[in-house]
Amino acid sequence: MQIHYNFAFFDEGSKREIRRATLKAIAIPGYQVPFASREMPIARGWGTGGLQLTLSLIGKDDVLKVIDQGSDESVNAVNIKKLVMKTAGIKTTEETQEATIIQSRHRIPEIPLTEGQILVLQVPLPEPLRDYEPSEYNTKRLHAEKEYSGAWLMLFEQIMKYGHMASDFDHPVMVENRYVMAPSPIPRFDNPKMHYSKALILLGAGREKKIYAVPPYTKVVSLAFDDYPFEVESFEDKHCRLCGATGVYLDELFNEETGETYYQCNDTSYCLSRLNEQSESRGVQHG
Amino acid sequence: MKLDFIHDIQRAYRKVVDSMSRPGLITNLKDEAAKVDLEAGCFPSTLVLAAMLLDTEVTFKVVSEKEEETTRWINQLTYAKADAAERADFVFVLYDKAEDELGQILRRVKTGSLIDPHDSATIIVEADAVTDGCDFKLTGSGIEEANYVNVSVNGNWMEVRQQQNAEFPMGVDLIFVDKNHHLLCLPRTTQILSEGRKL
Ligand SMILES: [Zn+2]
Repeated sequence: MQIHYNFAFFDEGSKREIRRATLKAIAIPGYQVPFASREMPIARGWGTGGLQLTLSLIGKDDVLKVIDQGSDESVNAVNIKKLVMKTAGIKTTEETQEATIIQSRHRIPEIPLTEGQILVLQVPLPEPLRDYEPSEYNTKRLHAEKEYSGAWLMLFEQIMKYGHMASDFDHPVMVENRYVMAPSPIPRFDNPKMHYSKALILLGAGREKKIYAVPPYTKVVSLAFDDYPFEVESFEDKHCRLCGATGVYLDELFNEETGETYYQCNDTSYCLSRLNEQSESRGVQHG
Repeated sequence: MKLDFIHDIQRAYRKVVDSMSRPGLITNLKDEAAKVDLEAGCFPSTLVLAAMLLDTEVTFKVVSEKEEETTRWINQLTYAKADAAERADFVFVLYDKAEDELGQILRRVKTGSLIDPHDSATIIVEADAVTDGCDFKLTGSGIEEANYVNVSVNGNWMEVRQQQNAEFPMGVDLIFVDKNHHLLCLPRTTQILSEGRKL
């Protein structure tokens, strides 16, 4: 019997460790499962947690999409794709619908995910209670006792200070009425996409060596007060300058020459596919 | 062994991920099990799971009349060490188990602590048949409304499982495999309703 090592850039022992932690994470939604991480030969900040998850999951039949802050073409996204393609010979795509595994940093795609997909989110800071409790020993106890008054106090202080909840990204959520969880630095706009998601969502923090999960059809509620309800960013009267989309997460851009403010889809592949559709239907009309 | 420890194990793992994240979804390990050419006293799909999940970092326990034989094979295959049921990370309850052995073993295995709920046993159970059906109604995380399955394992294991999972997040996660390589997972989050009784 022969055991081969170092396929997909990642030895089989490391994969086993990640796989065991992943299955536990799925069984305990929102709980941060610690794992023994081996050093990855890439710089940190690249999202080693997400990459380790992806490499533990991916096989020859998979189609991988990598997005970094909404873009498939950022240096980070391209480098991760190159790495996975080179080492595993995997197909990649920019189309959300074609992907079986979507590794992302800072966004959940605009196109609703499906049952056949797994979303892997890269997490820099997995502990939602860290801001007021620096000790890991203590935060583990707070989670154990479901003692989340500190999380509520943080939100309360934001309201006192700013008149509203100020966490634009990584707004904490409650998973299955049990664990307060950091959804990773996605905009508040994306938080509701986690609730009852059709796709499995896995979150990986490489530096802190934690894996956690939101299984499909799982209750995810953004923390809020009755008199200060959770609200997503509103782009109500705004639309994408390129494709005209509304009701999506828009980047605000500023034209220095004209002094004009305009908006564009943050999810570039979504924008592009809309533009393609529009030019095709125009082509049909004219043809 | 024809089983490819990289690609076959990866494919099998994804089925376990699917079944664990969607309790009631029955997947099939027959392609991978067909490549296991080792007579170890257990189902070939059980060996696929052992090769997928075990190594020197974890311990296991085999519950079977052929405990010694199967323990030796799993140790040779994975280098994992056997340990008592109370401490083992993975517990294999084989097909030749006695009538009520699953229930008995479930009382003994570790369920983790409130601080470290992941430090709990995963139980791999060999069943006669695991099929879609209407004996058990499953609800909980991973299930849209309800899933329905039949699991042909006798005894009071469902009551014991319920007791062991009463204090979530502590609990045990079960993986069933059957003779036809079907795979079903019942993580601790899954509620089972059987013949009108909530278990
Ligand atoms: Zn657009």
